[in-house]
Amino acid sequence: MAEFEPRIIAFLCNWCAYQGADLAGTSHLEYPPNVRIIRLMCSGAIDPVYIINALLTGADGVLIGGCHLGTCHYQNGNYKAQRRVDILRNILHQVGFAEDRVWLRWIDASEGQLFASTIREMVNELKAKEPNPLRHPWEVWQGSNWGP
Amino acid sequence: MKINTTLAVEAGDILGALRRFLADFLEKHIVDVLLVPQEIAQGRSLVQTLVQDPAYLSRANPLSPVMPVNSAVLVAQLTVDKPQRKVGAVLRSCEIRALIELAKLRQANLENLTIIGIDCLGTYEVADYARLTDEMEGEKGARVVAELQRRIAEDGAEPFPIPLRPACQMCEFPTTGGADITLGLIGVEDGILVTLESELAAKLGLTEGEAPDREKAIAKLVEVRSGARDRAFAEFRQQTKSITEFADQFATCIGCHNYAVACPICFCKECFFHTATFEPESERYFRWAERAGALRMPTEILLFQLTRLNHMVASCVGCGLCESACPSKLPLTVIFRAVGEGVQKMLRYVPGRSLEDELPLATFKEEGFPVV
Repeated sequence: MAEFEPRIIAFLCNWCAYQGADLAGTSHLEYPPNVRIIRLMCSGAIDPVYIINALLTGADGVLIGGCHLGTCHYQNGNYKAQRRVDILRNILHQVGFAEDRVWLRWIDASEGQLFASTIREMVNELKAKEPNPLRHPWEVWQGSNWGP
Repeated sequence: MKINTTLAVEAGDILGALRRFLADFLEKHIVDVLLVPQEIAQGRSLVQTLVQDPAYLSRANPLSPVMPVNSAVLVAQLTVDKPQRKVGAVLRSCEIRALIELAKLRQANLENLTIIGIDCLGTYEVADYARLTDEMEGEKGARVVAELQRRIAEDGAEPFPIPLRPACQMCEFPTTGGADITLGLIGVEDGILVTLESELAAKLGLTEGEAPDREKAIAKLVEVRSGARDRAFAEFRQQTKSITEFADQFATCIGCHNYAVACPICFCKECFFHTATFEPESERYFRWAERAGALRMPTEILLFQLTRLNHMVASCVGCGLCESACPSKLPLTVIFRAVGEGVQKMLRYVPGRSLEDELPLATFKEEGFPVV
């Protein structure tokens, strides 16, 4: 199969991962252009609905970038994000959706290198997989043949 | 200290004995008001009533196997603003467990509440129950209860030719935990086994009696129900190997969102899905359709299901009122309970077990969980 270009939606915390992405840019670090960034005030502000929406509308991967544990600008938002993503990934696994399309990473404002390498790594791993089956939602809605 | 005593039943009038027992709570000012199911329309259905005057307990029937609402929601309404009144409520296991979750979610307050827990052998859909009683003469509630009693005594099969609600067929909680007073039927031959604090028993004029050994009878029922549950879970997992197969199971979903109203855990006053976020300008729909080739409308069927799973499944107590509320009869009980089991195991959390267990989404610990 021809290699495809995965689409990644990244929800990044304003105080760390978003600044890290900014640093990667101002430092002229190279990373693949497959990522669309959405800035949040805190990784703890993300409701699973937005991650699921991204996946259901065809994103091949979703990255949630927050502050390292213990350094949250709002004390414990990243712990909340961690717990929510754990639950989300567990549910995705159970309903037959590859949960490893959802990544949660702690990236500090000073870690432009880490941001760039995370995106590189994520793009490589997603390229090794099939595209998100929900890229073509009508095919999903038409159904499988599991029933009698 | 809790003691056991048996409520005497005269001439098989189990409901009469129960009504007198409940009236005592009001007459002796143990509670100011009592939430209890009562028969309406000559016993064709039951509704919860908030009784202040014991004279209005004449149709009380906490035993009939029908549950139009998870009363945890009603108790939450009665207690959330910490009233000064002493509230009593007669509840089934799934209602108590939902109430414990609601209390932890700060939607209910258990301080001034007396919970009377009652054994539950399972309930019928409201419409099924009405059809069943339509064929009966006389005191319908009493006849249904007598049939249930006979079944308990004889350890027989389902007494009526209609199926229990799917959630009840796989419910492993026929008895209640977390209640102040428990009323036991299963494994009790004559009368009703009452377990309560000795102080309260003294107020009610009850003296300690023999406790029948009912462990065996309960274990037998739990075994049957757990078996049905495990088979249903296995079938769901077998049928859900891909997101396409999961989507297939919602093929008949009409997107009514009824089950979010029926669910006791779904407590938000305004559901996110009913906000302006889901009323985009028309141009967006055209863009989505352009990108995907075709857009399913209404758009948010699978998003709604998956999001609701995320929002409430850690606290799902398995009452199954979601499925009862579903006009398409989607197998929601199995889906929510099976997925819930996976999530709850990961979180090491048992919803409704105890007020002491911290809500997983409200407590934050250093370590994450192994997801798979």
